[in-house]
Amino acid sequence: MEIRPSRGWRAIDLRELWAYRELLIIFAWRDIKVRYRQTLLGAAWVMGQPLLTMLIFTLVFNRIARFSAPGGLPYPVFVLAGVLIWNFVSGTIASAGNSLIGAAYLISKVYFPRLAIPVSNVIVNVVDFLVGIVLLAGVMAWYRVVPGVTIVALPLIIAIAALFALGIGLWIAAANVEYRDVRVIIPFVLQLAMYATPIVYPLAALPEKYRPIAILNPMTGIVEAFRASLFGTPMPGALVLTWSVVASLLCLIGGALYFRRMERLFADVI
Amino acid sequence: MLSVQVEHLSKRYQLGNVERHYKTLRDRLAGMFRPKPPVPADRRELWALRDINLEIQQGEAIGVIGHNGAGKSTLLKILSRITEPTEGVARLHGRVASLLEVGTGFHPELTGRDNIYLNGAILGMSRAEIRQNFDAIVEFAEVERFLDTAVKHYSSGMYVRLAFAVAAHLTPEILLVDEVLAVGDLEFQRRCLGRMNEVARSGRTVFFVSHNLGSIEALCPRSILMSGGQIIEDGPTAKVMARYTSRRSGESMFDLRAFADREGTGHARITGVEILTADGSEQADTVEFGQPFRVRLHWEALQRLSGAALGFALLTEKNERIFFTESIDTGASFDMAPGTGSGDCLLRNPNVVPGTYRLEVWINEIVGIAYADHLRMIGGLEIVPGTPGRVNVSALTEAGRGVVYVDAEWR
Repeated sequence: MEIRPSRGWRAIDLRELWAYRELLIIFAWRDIKVRYRQTLLGAAWVMGQPLLTMLIFTLVFNRIARFSAPGGLPYPVFVLAGVLIWNFVSGTIASAGNSLIGAAYLISKVYFPRLAIPVSNVIVNVVDFLVGIVLLAGVMAWYRVVPGVTIVALPLIIAIAALFALGIGLWIAAANVEYRDVRVIIPFVLQLAMYATPIVYPLAALPEKYRPIAILNPMTGIVEAFRASLFGTPMPGALVLTWSVVASLLCLIGGALYFRRMERLFADVI
Repeated sequence: MLSVQVEHLSKRYQLGNVERHYKTLRDRLAGMFRPKPPVPADRRELWALRDINLEIQQGEAIGVIGHNGAGKSTLLKILSRITEPTEGVARLHGRVASLLEVGTGFHPELTGRDNIYLNGAILGMSRAEIRQNFDAIVEFAEVERFLDTAVKHYSSGMYVRLAFAVAAHLTPEILLVDEVLAVGDLEFQRRCLGRMNEVARSGRTVFFVSHNLGSIEALCPRSILMSGGQIIEDGPTAKVMARYTSRRSGESMFDLRAFADREGTGHARITGVEILTADGSEQADTVEFGQPFRVRLHWEALQRLSGAALGFALLTEKNERIFFTESIDTGASFDMAPGTGSGDCLLRNPNVVPGTYRLEVWINEIVGIAYADHLRMIGGLEIVPGTPGRVNVSALTEAGRGVVYVDAEWR
């Protein structure tokens, strides 16, 4: 093995990440184990939080503000699906974004591909999300909503959402090391972003002239496609979907490059 | 066969570059619309390592000694790939494991069993390897009964034993070790040293950084002595050790001129800390338990400071403060003029049990408001048992006894 100074932009070393896959898995396993052991009602929290959000959103946006779900879908089911995918993406962004700072004690003591930390955070969030899907299945059964055959597309949509969240998370993780105020801004930006994404309302409810702007947000296509695959409602157009996929990949590639560029400074700055 | 080959290795840090530490996105964005501020004058560079050349043969155990800030840890961090060199190249032939502390990544909420897997993986062991060594690790650590207890309920002794046991079962071709043997009770330290000896004798290359000259002598036939980021002596341990211990008197025990981890305005800086005998007449390498000693803080002021206070704290190896004392406690303050000077603190009654401690030192520019300089975690003050007296000193160092000695009398 040769150690020398690195310069400029470097691509992600996927082979090395693969060599460290056990460590990556064990990081994820640690976080999952701690979460589901530490919190008295481990899984109850993961389910209770979106359930309560669903109830409140239904009360505020459906009963009071009179938003409704498309295609005669019960509003609680509609909004819960949106909340789950949004929580997954924003949770991944937030935890991957803070992951390096949180792992400073490791970064300054032992070598491993630093990318393993945010990537393991994605895995943890996927597990939470899958628990949330179980909850959604329960609520769908309660309202007698039957999923369509399009549900086979679900894993693909979740994968795209995960890649998008990882991409943004990598940007933030690296920026967090360089700029100490990033972590203060992120929760606020994420909160605003939720309302800019069709979570509590369907895209179709937006006035025509705002829709192109909403579609620029890659999450719009992801959320709409997620719901469409669950409920068998019409998929968003090909252009919207393509943009979401392309934008997600661009975020990921850009995030990975920035992360790699900053990586060599982590141990010295953190 | 060559195991480690280091050529022209250098590492530069930016010093006194305050905005590097507190850089914010807000300032960066605001800065885009403002002319660039001039580079601050105190932006200095520190070459923590300068042109290091070193060759280590396979199976060699090499000790690294030197004062704090000499570059030992930086060299170790580069070889461990934690940080990158600024210049030069290092070639390592074989699997490398580095041990900069024991128990890296231990999670308090997880059980002993889980932590063995977690820590093992962090240190670079595969699952299969850990499983294969699992029983040996548990036996070495003597924690069979508590395997399924969360480690937060462990005593500090058990915790350290478990942590070292995992590390002791690493089987790389090259092992890089920093100062990890100074943990646990004396009996356990002896066992750790024995284990390290086994590793060194089994054909592995060991690179061993320590303040504990005794363990370097026991483990390493060859040593290097570092100072100011360079290797100033390389050869048989006895010869290198002789050069190290015969340093001129008056040279600071802790030379902090290159110490990077500091906070404060920088109007005055602490350049060194000396540990002296109580009367201040000579340097004391070690301090005997129960005996008074003197701490001398050397400073360098860049501007006039009046009424500054000097402070000093003693910390455990885990960085828990045991006590701190500040000159204004007894009404002493220092008027500093540009230039250098020093202040003394006589500790009449340092009631801490034998062991290795860290220091934290500071200059308080405006008491309670601003530090001129604040350095944490200066390593390696040794308090030794000393001559046997009324107190059974070795019993005091047992795990769980705490670090403060109270002069108690039983009848």
